[in-house]
Amino acid sequence: MAVSVDEAVATGPARDRTPSARRLGGRGRSVLEVVLLTVLAVVMLFPVLWMIETSIKENRDVYAIPAKFFNFTVTMDHFKDVFVAPGGGRSALSVAFLNSVLVAGVSTALATVLGVPAAWAYSRFSVKAKKDQLFFILSTRFMPPVVVVIPIFLMYRQVGLIDSKLGLILIYAAFNVPFTIWMMKGFVDEVPAEYEDAAMLDGYTRMQAFWRFTLPLLLPGIAATAVFALIFSWNEFVFAIFLTSSDGVRTAPPAIAGLIGGTTVDWGLVAAASLVFALPVLIFAYLVRKHLVAGVTLGAVRR
Amino acid sequence: MRYPKRIGRLSVPRRTAHLATAALLVAAMAACGQDDGANSSAPKAPATIPELTKDPLTLSFIWFDWPPAHALETFANAEYTKERPNVTIKVNTVPNANWHDAMFTQFAAHKTDFDIPVLDSQHIGEAVTNGNILDITDFVKKNIDVKAYNPYLLAAYGQFPQAETGKRDENASLYGLPLLGDTWTMIYRKDLIGDTPPKTWDEMISVAEKCQADNPGVSGLAFHQANGSDAAAVTYNTVNGLYGGNLWDAKARKIEGVINDAAGQEAMDILVNKMKPLTAKGSGNWFIDEVNAAVAQGKACIAFNWIAASGALLDPKQSTLGSTKEEILDKLGFAPLPSQKTNLVPLGGMGMHVSAYSSKEKQAEALNFMKWFEQADIQKKWAAAGGVPARTDALESPEFLNAGPFNKVYTESVPRMRDMWNVPEYARLIDIENTNVNAALNGAKAPKDALNDIAKEQQSVLDSSGRKGGGGL
Amino acid sequence: MSDPVSLTTDRPGQVASTTPPAPGRSRHLSDRWLAVLFISPALLLLLAMSVFPLLWALYLSFTDYSATRGGPATFVWFGNYTAILASAQVHLRALTTLIYVVGAVALQTVLGFSIAYLISRRTHGRGLLTTLFLVPMMLSPVVVGLFWRFMLDAQFGVINSMLGSLGLGQVEWLTRQQTALFSLIVVDTWQWTPFIMLIALAGLTAVPKYLYEAASIDRASEWFRFRTITLPLVWPLLLIAVLFRAIEAFRLFDLVYILTSGGPGVSTETLSFHVYKVAFLGFNTGTASAYGILMVLIVIVLTQLYLRYLNKLKED
Repeated sequence: MAVSVDEAVATGPARDRTPSARRLGGRGRSVLEVVLLTVLAVVMLFPVLWMIETSIKENRDVYAIPAKFFNFTVTMDHFKDVFVAPGGGRSALSVAFLNSVLVAGVSTALATVLGVPAAWAYSRFSVKAKKDQLFFILSTRFMPPVVVVIPIFLMYRQVGLIDSKLGLILIYAAFNVPFTIWMMKGFVDEVPAEYEDAAMLDGYTRMQAFWRFTLPLLLPGIAATAVFALIFSWNEFVFAIFLTSSDGVRTAPPAIAGLIGGTTVDWGLVAAASLVFALPVLIFAYLVRKHLVAGVTLGAVRR
Repeated sequence: MRYPKRIGRLSVPRRTAHLATAALLVAAMAACGQDDGANSSAPKAPATIPELTKDPLTLSFIWFDWPPAHALETFANAEYTKERPNVTIKVNTVPNANWHDAMFTQFAAHKTDFDIPVLDSQHIGEAVTNGNILDITDFVKKNIDVKAYNPYLLAAYGQFPQAETGKRDENASLYGLPLLGDTWTMIYRKDLIGDTPPKTWDEMISVAEKCQADNPGVSGLAFHQANGSDAAAVTYNTVNGLYGGNLWDAKARKIEGVINDAAGQEAMDILVNKMKPLTAKGSGNWFIDEVNAAVAQGKACIAFNWIAASGALLDPKQSTLGSTKEEILDKLGFAPLPSQKTNLVPLGGMGMHVSAYSSKEKQAEALNFMKWFEQADIQKKWAAAGGVPARTDALESPEFLNAGPFNKVYTESVPRMRDMWNVPEYARLIDIENTNVNAALNGAKAPKDALNDIAKEQQSVLDSSGRKGGGGL
Repeated sequence: MSDPVSLTTDRPGQVASTTPPAPGRSRHLSDRWLAVLFISPALLLLLAMSVFPLLWALYLSFTDYSATRGGPATFVWFGNYTAILASAQVHLRALTTLIYVVGAVALQTVLGFSIAYLISRRTHGRGLLTTLFLVPMMLSPVVVGLFWRFMLDAQFGVINSMLGSLGLGQVEWLTRQQTALFSLIVVDTWQWTPFIMLIALAGLTAVPKYLYEAASIDRASEWFRFRTITLPLVWPLLLIAVLFRAIEAFRLFDLVYILTSGGPGVSTETLSFHVYKVAFLGFNTGTASAYGILMVLIVIVLTQLYLRYLNKLKED
């Protein structure tokens, strides 16, 4: 890729104190910068904090004006409601969470199984019109989902995939394969081909060389790539709302959206469900923090 | 990037690949073209219910997510299984905003995971024209005691072409039976405006005005203004009806010049210039939930909402009006809408229909369920379980009238109901009206322009059948 | 991203070679088959799930087909396209989309870069700060839309409650023409500023230290160093980040669907949202397909122009 950046975002060694700080007045400026940064951090994180507060408030306090920041009764009922139906048993939301786990998990596995070998092949072999192919592959990611959903819908109704988990899995996998190929090609490029050449001189076939020597080195990259694919499938909403309709198939995003538009909105429940839903993504994102830049740019910008 | 050119080379015969791809595409497209010769009239249901299965069977509904849907599932599983122990009832729910899309995308797929779609009355035209639901005229003749109903209620949830108000057309076909009746109720604060509800719409507005002036922090009015579903449109239609307007001339299929006649303009003026100023700031995207929240938080003198959605108002956990249901009811009154030039009220509620793509076995079960559901004693039980029945005897029964403080309002409102168009173009018509009324309410369009735009755009939707391209814009 | 993005759908993904056969035939045969074996499953999935639907949409875009009405599709050729391009309704949505894309991307670029710059100047806690700032980006648009709708509620929302405490009046965030579009931009900015920040930070931390040290010996002014060292090195990265954001913002649907559903009136309806209405309210599948194809074309053409500009910038 055209652009390369040498240092990781959050993991790079701290730079020496900038020269300016040593100058006269540098201290005042430094304080100003810290204050500014703090203010920005508070503004950016306030909605998340408010979500956490709302999730532990009683419904009566949720609507209170002026808003209650500290003096409210803490309740865990909303989190209970996320998992347990009012009459006991599993709630529709928890079923949706399980569906999300299944759909996101399987589609990610599928995208990885299809994408990693392809990325390896694109990296190692000379393929006709490789650049065109690669860019074509990437460009399929840039179509507006609302546009794609129409022909997908027509196609699915022909083959009976509407309102099925398999249908969602396939479309998510198709959206994640380009990403996986792009991301993984970068990782494969970093592994010297000489390893495989050497292995083949020792009598291994190329397949074996890939399997026994290259693949183990790729595992961290595969993990990072898979996590990003997982996050996409986990958060996706447009296909989910147009291609599914029954409780047994619905994934979490449409289920959470469905919490409003009844007769009352239980914002505490919305907040609790949102938090439960966001938690795995935040944990995963933290785990792959080294690869975030590559991940969010579909591999176009690498460190 | 690494190009180990000396190693890899690939040559799949290119022509073959081309041909294979082309063949694949042609075959697939041809396959997709085949089902499109769908008949454009609804298939008929048998007059007598075919023999029912003894095997376990799940009968699925589709509705949007609100209390009546959950009430129906509980009620049906408790009661229907007494007669049919092998049957389980499942009421699938989708978000309200997605309700129409969820049903009709499945209809479009010619494969439904539900057997009984709960259609809004206005959806019937679209479903019938596309052959999505069964024609149950013969079944009704043979199995349902039609005399037990207010004829309009039977027509509203089942007849196509529709009867907007008043009488049922005995010759028209029926495609559904009533499931849940509904209309708007006026919700008023007895502690703020007194026990007697206003009698006319004009009086209602002035009472609200006074209440707002006397009680700082409380708005005079709260009603549906959102641009989704049918929120803002029903509000305008209600005022339009009360001030003597008409939505369209059904026979001539004329909207232009009808909805925006003098009465229509007056209704729009009342809504935007008299009623809107009495609502809370920022209430321009309110629908059922928000109106309920405003009432429960004690922020509105007079509010309008669907009866079926009003149960939540009596829940002390959501309310600041009192810590028990009785305390809340000391403050909240429910009454039929005031009348003005006419006494029309909006028809709400939904009917049960039978999916044309359901298996024969399940269609038979669905018909049996409908027959069972429309019996007098079951209708009374449904009323007691929180439903709104349709049979006159059930509507007048103590089981119903005592089940909720607003149920009396429904019974009194039944003869006053008016519906919208239930033509196949409904979804587009309602969207045009919703967005324009919403724009007028929020100052994005002058009221007069909004109404004229509604008339013009809706008319062009009705007239667009012969157009070449660009339909739906 | 310096190569042209090609979206020729007529012959997707053939695997072939023009180089002459090399010696060592048997091994190469196995390599060839290995490549086919490894690449074709992925390409087949894309062919079935991306290419084929797109071609189908292309075919439908020339017809008056409706997914619900049934009946054979009749060809109207470019009728859908001309109707869309001539429609005042579409022009209105295009303008809304343009304001939204430009406003949101500009705002988040400025903010994102500023935050990145501030973080890059800190010696301690950079990792923690970055992680915290990234949280909004990881949330589902559904969660973001729902929760901001709650916070922006004019009556019960926390934003107006805080404004009230400060003695300021209530603002109708979601129900006035200008404020609704502005709110949409603000929410999008809240969610995606971290994206720009992340990429800008990657560029900023990569500026070699010796460049600064050299400049410091020269007693160059801070601003001069920023302008001549920092910015030129970060600029290309920032431009790519902007491209990604612009494409994403152009496709925006879910946030509109949940936050305003296009209101008040149609004043926050983006092109994507309008396509949805055409496709699912009247099931005018043909028109919607043409609309979608036009949107894809716009993305391709604008991306090409942008990349060309980017390449030129790099050469200079």
